Amino acid sequence: MKALLIRLYPARWRARYGDEFAAILEERPLGPFDVADILLGALDAQLRLRGIGADTQKGTGFSMSLRLGGAAAILGAILFPAGFALSSVSASDDPFPGFALLLAGTVTLLVGLIGLSAFQARQHPRLIWTAFAIPALGTVMSIVGLVGMGVVGDRPLLAGLSPWAIWILGVFATVVGSTLFALATYRTRTFPRFAAGTLAIGSGVLLGVFLVGASGVIAGVDPMVPVLVLAGLVAFSVGWIALGWTAIRLDQPAIATA
Amino acid sequence: MKPKTPEFGRFAEPSLLILVSLSDGPKHGYAIMQDVEQGTGRPMGAGTLYAALARLEEQGFIEPMQAVDRRRPYRLTAVGASNLADQLRGLSEYAQQGLRQLRQNQS
Repeated sequence: MKALLIRLYPARWRARYGDEFAAILEERPLGPFDVADILLGALDAQLRLRGIGADTQKGTGFSMSLRLGGAAAILGAILFPAGFALSSVSASDDPFPGFALLLAGTVTLLVGLIGLSAFQARQHPRLIWTAFAIPALGTVMSIVGLVGMGVVGDRPLLAGLSPWAIWILGVFATVVGSTLFALATYRTRTFPRFAAGTLAIGSGVLLGVFLVGASGVIAGVDPMVPVLVLAGLVAFSVGWIALGWTAIRLDQPAIATA
Repeated sequence: MKPKTPEFGRFAEPSLLILVSLSDGPKHGYAIMQDVEQGTGRPMGAGTLYAALARLEEQGFIEPMQAVDRRRPYRLTAVGASNLADQLRGLSEYAQQGLRQLRQNQS
């Protein structure tokens, strides 16, 4: 993958910096943040060498910075539970607004995960890549499920699974990714352990409810289930918001205080 | 405060951090990244590092040295050192002004 990333840079740039850049990439494992940063660097080099130039770009442009990741984490922490609640409440009516909100939350949290995973990926690259890959796959599944609901309704869509089942598996992939990300963050202490721990607990509760529900251990609707789901969603949301808020504060210009 | 390197756009801050790192002596890219991360507590990706390095080199603020095992150290030029001193003085004056204003508002 490293060779492919370098190939994205213009030939003239590679002739000058290619060797030393490759040496840097070999020094330490790459996480999703690093890959996004290199993709933006390659785009910048392509534009500059074509004279289009990104010289006048401001900090508010598209960048996978901590600030963007932090903002995405906070937004996702609001959209995801809101979509979850709305799709549950309106399940018998029109579930699509809630599903769309949930999908938006899933995508936003994925952006947040990329933006906030730079330090964790240095120490736990496999864990962080797994934390990224599972919800990325889940997002695709959610989109397929959502489209499938509109096209085939309740009939089986893929591997005997209904679009709804594919959709819900996609949604829980985000929860699995959040759990892994929380574990990596807790272990590296990049952000407050309180935030990572809260996210891990929230995700864990949601996963537990999902797995128990899917296994059919609980017959009918146990009165504890909504309480646990609500508690899990609140902890999930608080954890992501705390991580996002910390990241935004961390990204205050360090040199301004010099 | 007037920015000293407006043409660097969003790479102005990474460029300043690189210049500060090189003020300690020549360093190769990975050492600069580590230095910046330790100093600021914030990650600097390789894409950002090299986008900023290319601009700094183009402006004559830094110059490459002989590569050793594919690692190429960079050092600050006289122009770069002068620019860095100007920027840090500007930031320091700005910080002093901010502190004065804070004290006045608190008293």
